[in-house]
Amino acid sequence: MLFQYIFRNIKKRPFLNFIKVLGLALGLSGVLFISLFLKNELTYDSFHNKADRIYRLTYTNPGIFGNNHFARIYNSEQVPDLAAHFPEIENYARLAPLRGGVMMHNERYYSINEAFVCDSSFFRVFDTELLVGNKHTVLEAPGSMVVSEAFAQKVFGDESAVGKIISLPAGQFYARQTDFTVKGVMENFPQNSHFHPDLIATPAQDEISWWAYTYLLLKEHANPENITAGYSQFTALKAEEFGGESETKAYLQPITDIHLHSDKLREIEANSNMTNIYVLSVAAFILLLISMSNYASLNLGMAGFNNKFVTINRILGSTRNMNLKYFFAESLFIVLVSTLVALAIGVLVNSLIAHHFGIHLFRGNSSFIALVVSFFGLLGILSGLQPVLKQRVGQIQQGKQSLIKSNKIKVSQGIIISQYIFAIGLIVAVIIISRQNRFVLENSLGAGHKNIICFESVHANVQQKFEIFKSELLKHSSIESVSAMLEPPGGEANDMFPFEMEGYSKAEKERPNMIGVFPCDYSFAELFNLDFLSGNNFSQNNSDTEGSGEFLINETAMQFLNYNNPQEIIGKEFRLISPNPEVTVPQGKIVGVVKDFHLSSLKKRVEPLVLFKRDKLWLLNFVVSFKPGMRQTALSDISSLWQELFPAYPFIYEDVDVLYKKVYKTELLQARLLSIFTFISIFISSMGLLGISLLVSQQQTKEIGIRKVNGAKVSEILAMLNKDFIKWVVIAFVIATPIAYYAMNKWLENFAYKTTLSWWVFALSGMLALGIALLTVSWQSWRAATRNPVEALRYE
Amino acid sequence: MIQTNKLTKIFRTEDVETYALNEVSMEVKRGEFVAIMGPSGCGKSTLLNIIGLLDNPSGGEYYFDGTEVGSYKERQRTMMRKGNIGFVFQSFNLIDELTVYENVELPLIYLKKKASERKEMVTAVLERMKIGHRAKHFPQQLSGGQQQRVAIGRAVVANPKLILADEPTGNLDSKNGLEVMNLLTELNREGTTIIMVTHSMHDAGFAHRVINLFDGEILTENVNEKMADIL
Repeated sequence: MLFQYIFRNIKKRPFLNFIKVLGLALGLSGVLFISLFLKNELTYDSFHNKADRIYRLTYTNPGIFGNNHFARIYNSEQVPDLAAHFPEIENYARLAPLRGGVMMHNERYYSINEAFVCDSSFFRVFDTELLVGNKHTVLEAPGSMVVSEAFAQKVFGDESAVGKIISLPAGQFYARQTDFTVKGVMENFPQNSHFHPDLIATPAQDEISWWAYTYLLLKEHANPENITAGYSQFTALKAEEFGGESETKAYLQPITDIHLHSDKLREIEANSNMTNIYVLSVAAFILLLISMSNYASLNLGMAGFNNKFVTINRILGSTRNMNLKYFFAESLFIVLVSTLVALAIGVLVNSLIAHHFGIHLFRGNSSFIALVVSFFGLLGILSGLQPVLKQRVGQIQQGKQSLIKSNKIKVSQGIIISQYIFAIGLIVAVIIISRQNRFVLENSLGAGHKNIICFESVHANVQQKFEIFKSELLKHSSIESVSAMLEPPGGEANDMFPFEMEGYSKAEKERPNMIGVFPCDYSFAELFNLDFLSGNNFSQNNSDTEGSGEFLINETAMQFLNYNNPQEIIGKEFRLISPNPEVTVPQGKIVGVVKDFHLSSLKKRVEPLVLFKRDKLWLLNFVVSFKPGMRQTALSDISSLWQELFPAYPFIYEDVDVLYKKVYKTELLQARLLSIFTFISIFISSMGLLGISLLVSQQQTKEIGIRKVNGAKVSEILAMLNKDFIKWVVIAFVIATPIAYYAMNKWLENFAYKTTLSWWVFALSGMLALGIALLTVSWQSWRAATRNPVEALRYE
Repeated sequence: MIQTNKLTKIFRTEDVETYALNEVSMEVKRGEFVAIMGPSGCGKSTLLNIIGLLDNPSGGEYYFDGTEVGSYKERQRTMMRKGNIGFVFQSFNLIDELTVYENVELPLIYLKKKASERKEMVTAVLERMKIGHRAKHFPQQLSGGQQQRVAIGRAVVANPKLILADEPTGNLDSKNGLEVMNLLTELNREGTTIIMVTHSMHDAGFAHRVINLFDGEILTENVNEKMADIL
């Protein structure tokens, strides 16, 4: 019986009910996905059984690497002693990155993204399923390797991997080839892990030393602070062995904190951060509020329609309970339909996300999804009950209908204003985040030049032939320039050397005498179009003999060296003192000062940097720029030359702007997600506004008629109807602007270099919101204004 | 002042055509007070709406002050209506959200009169309707008779040539009804042409002439002897 009424009532106003369902469904799917995404972000690395006891060990030392905080430690060889010294440590696993970017099997090279030499205790600290092999024994022998499923597939196809030999080729980083025996295959590390190794292997001969990511497994209830606090004592004990480092500070970070709370140098992979979490939580909250308030306001507005039904029922003896029951049932019905629609949208979006990003948000989350859906549904039903809870209906009115009417519009006002506060705030956020993203991408090294590709971390054998590669490539008309450098675009230039300069004395100001170094090829400045403030590029055929070295410095380095006039520093004697006896840099002069360029993220300040050219020294990354419009030709030219020179090495390159997009992956994702949610929010709000305008103009039918009878033109009626909506958007704008200004200012603080918060961004957002609102209501207003007044007045 | 020639109005629903007016030809002279009578659904209000330029006829001609206005577009009708025609309805049709003063002021605003001029005119009309003391009240705070006086005040404030009244006493008791009829008569004496639709023989007695409509056609037209004398 009840459902029959509900059905009839819903069918009577299909459009308004459609708006209700769509608004709720979009709101629910949005909230669901954000919650799933947030859950995914917040549970990084918690899949390890002992996740709560795994900590990553890091150090800072003012005397080493300029007190920079690296994600890995430089003296990993002392970890066994450390573990022996502190009773809190149950076990440890060190991951020393395998460098060079390739592994070899059967004389063929395979590129690797992440690979580590690790301790045999790897599987006692971390958890991932072994598809082949026994966790306890697989890494026992030296030179044992476990490869990921994906890597095994890539190298061996369907063949069994076990027993095969995979070698780390000799090269820049390794004097001789090292062979490893594959002993097992592990599942690919899950997406919500902060590292995803292609392979791990125990050292074949030497012990692990020098740089390694170091994870300590503490005993149950052990206090990590005992270790960090006791570290100086430990170093004092070991002082003789390791050469006193009393200044080193140790840090232990829970493994589950790495993804969101770690922004150290040389992280294994780029991490996310809490800003992202906050931005998305706010988006979810706004979406929830908007869809709920929308539903509530439409229900309040439409309650009038049921007034007669309810009043007559009351006269005939029904109780208020009956009304509650009716509205409850109606709300339940609407919410159920919305949930079904939302789930349909959800399944679709989920498969899209899985396909494009490889993130399976639904997997293993059925109870979480059920929780979110029921929470949302409960809120929805509660919002749907607003009319009864507000006693808006069900009281027998005695000819004072209009009192409730004017009341009704006021309720909606607050909701519409708050919806537009959110809408304007979101538009501002989207514009500013997008502008900042554009700003950072445009100001990155080589940005705006769509025609540069980079071969990252090429193998030493490839590096040796750089000069041939360059001279051969330049013979092609498609190629503009070829260069090579220490770090790829988007990388971090962290290497520092002590230096001496004519007229610069350290004692003068207690300044550190280390400076960032950046070996590069002659064409570097030209290829990336660096601005010279003074001086010139390296001379092309410099012999690199002692005394004739040439150095370019960036503007920050000039200031660091205590000069303000770029002309004055030209020609000053300069010397880098290499800490590595195998590397020598000839003494020479500063030949040029270039404007600061952004090799690394614009979140960080540009550091003083000295560029120098040294044949075959650390030219790890090749960059090639080609002429506009000749991409295809250039690529095939490069490819054939590559096959000729380096047939055994994979031909893998990346566009420079893609490399930078990887650096700002989080911000770009934020911008994209936020624009989607802004669009959904505005869409829901507009739908609601459309419904409200429908209701308002229905309520004002009589007034419109009277005004028209008394001489009002259509335009005057339109102005009257739209005036309120404009007023509401203006109020929303006034409230939203300072909030958005504050929030975006906070967001921009993440960056060392940022765009300005121009006034026009706010003006534009306000105009956009106003435009959307007017567009939404005008259709309805126009219909109401052009209606024949006779119709409006006839039945009064 | 008003002349119609075979005025026809057809309402169409999906499969029925209803002739609300069927070739109605009539004339109303300047200064006349005409009552239109007839049973419910005979087309009285439709005729009044067309005369009042609120609606278009489906056929025939309508001359207002010598101009053919039957084929006017909405915008033209609004322009012609403004300041020339005042309306009084059975249900008063006041705007609840506006005060008495603001309700009366409405036509003057759309005529783009200056605020000072408006104030003068509205105050004068309210005094005349004997509701000056109620200027700041809202319609719902007034009695039915008072509300109708406000509505008449609004109809005459711009000094229109023609007042159209659709059952002006229909919602009033006899005392208030009489008061309204006296007001209309007075306005007519001062020269305003009045066309009134009514069910009430008593009210029709105030008019010079009564047109009887039946099923969209003029059945009879009789001159009210007593009133004609006065004329």
